[in-house]
Amino acid sequence: MTAYRLLTLVYAAVLIAADHHQYRRPALGWALLAVMAAWTVVSTYGYAQLAGRERVLLVADVGIAVGMVLATLAVQTSARIDAGAPTLPVAWVAASVLACAVVAGPWGGGMAAVAVSAADVAERGALTPHTFNGVVLLLLAGGVGGYVVRLGVAAEDSVAEASTAMAAVGERERLAREIHDSTLQVLALIARRGREIGGETGDLAELAAAQETSLRALVSSAAPSANGASTDIRAVISAMASATVIVATPAAAVELSQVVGDALLSAVAEALANVERHAGADARAWVLVETDPDRVTVSIRDDGPGIPAGRLEAARAAGRLGVAQSIVGRIEAVGGTVSIDSRPNEGTEVEIHVPR
Amino acid sequence: MCPAEPVVRVMVVDDHPIWREAVARDLEAAGLEVCGVASDAAQAVRVAKATRPEVVVLDLQLPDGSGVDVARSLAAFDEPPKVLVLSASGEQPDVLGAVGAGATGYLIKSASAAELVDAVRATARGEAVFTPGLAALLLGEYQRLSTGDAGGNPALTPRETEILRLVAKGFTYQQIADKLVLSLRTVQNHVQNTLTKLQLHNKAQLVRYAMEQGLDD
Repeated sequence: MTAYRLLTLVYAAVLIAADHHQYRRPALGWALLAVMAAWTVVSTYGYAQLAGRERVLLVADVGIAVGMVLATLAVQTSARIDAGAPTLPVAWVAASVLACAVVAGPWGGGMAAVAVSAADVAERGALTPHTFNGVVLLLLAGGVGGYVVRLGVAAEDSVAEASTAMAAVGERERLAREIHDSTLQVLALIARRGREIGGETGDLAELAAAQETSLRALVSSAAPSANGASTDIRAVISAMASATVIVATPAAAVELSQVVGDALLSAVAEALANVERHAGADARAWVLVETDPDRVTVSIRDDGPGIPAGRLEAARAAGRLGVAQSIVGRIEAVGGTVSIDSRPNEGTEVEIHVPR
Repeated sequence: MCPAEPVVRVMVVDDHPIWREAVARDLEAAGLEVCGVASDAAQAVRVAKATRPEVVVLDLQLPDGSGVDVARSLAAFDEPPKVLVLSASGEQPDVLGAVGAGATGYLIKSASAAELVDAVRATARGEAVFTPGLAALLLGEYQRLSTGDAGGNPALTPRETEILRLVAKGFTYQQIADKLVLSLRTVQNHVQNTLTKLQLHNKAQLVRYAMEQGLDD
């Protein structure tokens, strides 16, 4: 902007130097050039200092530009004006329009362009093709310039926002790595040694193992996905792992819509709660997550005593649908299916399919 | 020492001194020979070159790079050692990378000392050591390859898929053999195949990539 003001100031000075002997009042022409030079310096410092309160300066800027254009009437002879001689400040006035566009956006730029154009037309006394050209260029500079600046500012804001988010993710990953390399290793070691020693130390080992599992789930749980409508179910399912629950998932994210994901996760939690309730304290459970292009399958298998033959059917017939049925209800509500397979002494397997 | 079990030369790679020592002690107590230890990737390759272990027990999180790179370097040896990944859970992409690079087993760090010793012996015999976690990773990887647009990707046979799913659901090889009325050996072969196919595919891809980049000599 400063560069533009300086260049156009030099242009105006050259024109004045070349034409001043034809002016009606050459001295006034030189004086006005001095004012333009002074204002160029003042405005350059002013816009840099007054960040946030530039409006006063904008009004003065446009006012001086309009004044300079009109002052041409006092400097030039009317014959030369009618012959199409340029205004005294020539393109220098566009600087004020650009300043308005930058600070106040397309509307501010547009209004400044209208003010300066009006002065141009008044100075000429008529809308000549030459003046019309200038008006169009000024309006374009004010309107489009303001719009482009706004776009730039918005882009800058979103870049800043994204880099803040990235910094947060980076910090989280750094913490996760740190915890992974130190605390988790020690907890795992305590759990391992403690179990071998047994007795009360074995109990401590289980505590350490439980802490390891939940801390691991905490640091490995993915940040919420950028698209708030879908969720990677692996983090939550992995957090269900424990000394007796083994979770196996694919390496890639398993994205489901929030609604389907929530239904699936509560169904899996309920199935695991069932294992704990019915299969005995030392029964183990395996949770497997699989994906197909059109659906996600989660199976929950335990090595407990299994459901005696006919008991599920009997409960269903008696209208007592029980916990198993609430899993089925949840999943069918989101368009999925559930199959329950159980044989005495072979454990129970619940297989849940949901659409992607 | 049990005379029926041959002495297996093992190297342990883990950046945690207490872990490294605990693992080495457990292996030695079971009659295995720990011929070397290393705490980072560069040292691991150096020590392996010098001591020629049969089995490398490898942690994937190393201070100077991923254990995946170590697995890749070891696989390039003239007589490559067998690699058993012993790693924390929650490192699935790395585990898949190490297995693709040639590791033949994966055990999580919460495994007991007895499980570890069994796994090392099985690895030395050339058997794949699968956890449910590894089976699920492979199922996911084959699924991913099958939906990719490039043709010629390896695929599992229905039988292999069936067996891999059972492994992922926590069934032992013996339980699977009983369930499907197969011999234990057949089940092991099927599981082994799922791994070999992926490793061959990865190797071919590396070669193709090298040729495309003009890196082959």
